[in-house]
Amino acid sequence: MADEKQKAGSAEDSGGAAGKVTRRSFLSHLGAAGVAATASPLLAAAPAAAAMPEASEAASDAKIVGSVPVSLRVNGKVLKLQVDPRATLLDTLRESAGLTGTKKGCDHGQCGACTVHVNGRRVNSCLSFAVMHEGDEITTIEGIGQPGNLHPMQAAFVEHDGYQCGYCTSGQIMSAVALLKEPCGPTDADVKELMSGNICRCGAYPNIVAAVQQVRLRS
Amino acid sequence: MASIEEVVPASIIGTSLARVDGPLKVSGGAMYSSDHNFPGMLYAVPVCSTIAKGTITSLDSSAAEAMPGVQAVYHRKNIGQLFRAAPPVGFSGLIDERRPPFEDDVIRYYGQYVAVVVAQTFEQAMAASAAVKVSYAGEKPDVSTTLSSDEKPKVDTTRGDADGAFASAAVKVDETYVTPVETHNPIELHASVAVWDGKGFTLYETSQAVGNHREVMAQMLGVPLENVRVISRFLGSGFGGKLWPWPHCLLAAAASRNLNRPVKLVVSRKMMFQNVGHRPLTQQRIRLGATADGMLTSLQHDSLNHTSILDDYGEGCGEATGYLYSTANLRVTSGLVRRNVGNPTAMRGPGAVPGLYALESAMDELAIKLKMDPVELRLKNEPKLDESLGIPFSSRHLKECLTVGAEKFGWSQRKAGVGAMQRDGLTLGWGVGVCSWIAARIGCEATVELKADGTARVACGTQDIGTGTYTILAQIVAEKAGIPIEKVEVVLGDTKLPAGPISGGSWVTSSVIPAVADATQKAMQTVLMAAVQGKDARFAGKKPEDLVFSGGRVQVKGGSAETSVAYAEVLRAANLGGVSGTGKSEGTFGVPPKVSQHSFGAQFVEVTWQPATARLRVNRVVTVIDAGRVLNTRAGRNQIEGAVMMGVGMAMLEHTTYDQRNGAPINSNLADYVVATHADTPQIDVTFLDYPDLSLNEYGARGIGEIGLAGIAAAITGAVYHATGVRVRELPVRIEDLLGGTARA
Repeated sequence: MADEKQKAGSAEDSGGAAGKVTRRSFLSHLGAAGVAATASPLLAAAPAAAAMPEASEAASDAKIVGSVPVSLRVNGKVLKLQVDPRATLLDTLRESAGLTGTKKGCDHGQCGACTVHVNGRRVNSCLSFAVMHEGDEITTIEGIGQPGNLHPMQAAFVEHDGYQCGYCTSGQIMSAVALLKEPCGPTDADVKELMSGNICRCGAYPNIVAAVQQVRLRS
Repeated sequence: MASIEEVVPASIIGTSLARVDGPLKVSGGAMYSSDHNFPGMLYAVPVCSTIAKGTITSLDSSAAEAMPGVQAVYHRKNIGQLFRAAPPVGFSGLIDERRPPFEDDVIRYYGQYVAVVVAQTFEQAMAASAAVKVSYAGEKPDVSTTLSSDEKPKVDTTRGDADGAFASAAVKVDETYVTPVETHNPIELHASVAVWDGKGFTLYETSQAVGNHREVMAQMLGVPLENVRVISRFLGSGFGGKLWPWPHCLLAAAASRNLNRPVKLVVSRKMMFQNVGHRPLTQQRIRLGATADGMLTSLQHDSLNHTSILDDYGEGCGEATGYLYSTANLRVTSGLVRRNVGNPTAMRGPGAVPGLYALESAMDELAIKLKMDPVELRLKNEPKLDESLGIPFSSRHLKECLTVGAEKFGWSQRKAGVGAMQRDGLTLGWGVGVCSWIAARIGCEATVELKADGTARVACGTQDIGTGTYTILAQIVAEKAGIPIEKVEVVLGDTKLPAGPISGGSWVTSSVIPAVADATQKAMQTVLMAAVQGKDARFAGKKPEDLVFSGGRVQVKGGSAETSVAYAEVLRAANLGGVSGTGKSEGTFGVPPKVSQHSFGAQFVEVTWQPATARLRVNRVVTVIDAGRVLNTRAGRNQIEGAVMMGVGMAMLEHTTYDQRNGAPINSNLADYVVATHADTPQIDVTFLDYPDLSLNEYGARGIGEIGLAGIAAAITGAVYHATGVRVRELPVRIEDLLGGTARA
């Protein structure tokens, strides 16, 4: 019985506690129990749920002392959130919007893991506050493509093994997709220079460059 | 009947396959520890000491506690009881910093946790952590980088009369090499998401070893083992730094229990330099004695490394020294020196990586003294057996690594003199180093289920840290059962699964093969039993031994393939949802070895040097690896390329610097601790010799996660000498080291 009470207590807390926890972010903890090359329903659940936030639910979240409302347009959907004015765009995406595909590697704009697109340009989402992006068009890795419907850059990363642990991968791909529209010379050295804001500690650099070059050649 | 999709190639072992977890990794769907969010979850931010030695005299958390959203500030007086873990047995109970957080008020390294703030949001916790007032009685810390041991060094291995043979040697090298503190810096920050349910914990941890993590946490939190579950589905790599738990794990779990709420604690990049281990500073004296024609007569390797005040971490720099070359006289010793630093821990290729930088540098210096080609010197001193243990090698092809590498690199074009090679206005430097790494198996269990929907599921409590373990397990099941790899689901990283190996030592692949193969065979055998039992069975009236399971289908032995039945159909006919088999591998540790199991390789490096601008670049690397059979060449090549990249960082860029005044790691961020980037990538050519080593498992795989980082730094500094005339004996190579060289413009 005591256990039951404690569980109930913690569930109540969740209602009153966090503007940051929504049905979507709760779902995000379900995650991938297993891995298969074909997306099983379980595998598809987490990212798909995360990629399709519902504005109404986010708005219903409980208060954080000193929080302010912000309306973000993420992956084509409007997200109405209550956030701490000090919250970075990165932490807002991950902790409030349940979009955990964007990663935190340094919080200092030094590693590139948090790269997203703001109005079509790549930015380090750890270096700006969420409240600065009212009305901006934000795209995260979840909005680029999903298993079964991958963006050509995502597919090229799979084909060329452009990762190992996968943690910097979202940022690498967001940078690479933005690079396609940037002035960049044709050589591998040009791509390396423009991708050098994204650190891959596993050192999958040759494969990442191969993936980027393949997409550039085909497009 | 058989559709095209069901036709499976004879073997998918040893081919180039895309990773099965790739689509999740490229779409943001792979769940790393800090991606787990829960209703009511709180955020914890530790408070770090601002001295490296001394005691806490007062800690005032009242201002912090009054700040918005703050739920608690924990410190020594209120966190509750945390225990020490019992002494480790084998690969369980392992933790490098054995003192639980807040155990006493003594500060022994900069950044040591003194309190932790828990708040409703990360921003609130960050702000409040800065408002905790801590006063200290500080003393001058010792973070000196010159090491000398007061204690008598430990003799790791010895044979013959190393001193006598060195004294009488015709040609001698006696030099000391230093490798600096390196910080692992996986891009994924260490993180714990702790969920207390009133009785026990579910812990989402950045762990390379969920089983050990569970045992240590249960002991330190004082709860029964069965009340702790540890999950690490995807790891943003670790390179050894995430093998064992660190104090932040206890802070998150204790806070969750105290507040009865889920708690997320993500270690900051700055804390990654203080609180979660590093490769220690090493200082290694190498003495080589040789005959005038280049036969080694004596080899001495005496190393020291720093460790923390409380705990002993021995780097083991002589790891490969005892067996690498033939010499009758050898002695390897090691010792520890205490410093006010966090405890060091294993970093990719511990021991062998710094050790082979020293030994291979000395071999290069010996070759120069002998006026001998450095490749030839190594070929000349190739041993016939492991002379440290007096047993044969299971499979050693180092000579072939050297000859194949020399051929691919174009080594025969080498001109020996300093600065003797030029191209396009650049001075070229060529260098070579050999590498080696232990091969072993550790105990492993796995379960394989063949399901009535035609899929299979393999489960093992090991982890995929980026090396490709998800894919390797899928390959083994696909190959054994003869089903397409797309049909295999792999589940890893959970202590609810059968106990799997730690993701360390490059041992996972060799360890999982026997267990997964065995489990698959057992499941297949059960399918055959189901095929004959019951009146609706597809092969009623036959005996299991009359049948054969091949290509995902069951048929009568010697019968026509047209009469075969898909195993899924066999299971459906018997109204079975699926059948399971459990398999097991035995570890090789603790068993006296009959053969010496190691991997080998050769690294060839070209640097370019522009004296006018002091611009040094690693331009080209040729690596030949003898690591047994490589199960997936695409992921395998990536491992070696990645290790080479880390080697470029080790040789040219990486070093953690401590402020001598206050003991702080002063370059504790990724702008000041420089790691190799895209722009630093040389042309890398990887070759696997691919000789199966059947002493470890039926496929002959040994493991390739670490070996590629060994030898590369020595090859680079050898190339730097060749280009500039400057021998760098303290890593990394700094431009200022080269400005005084003979090749200075």
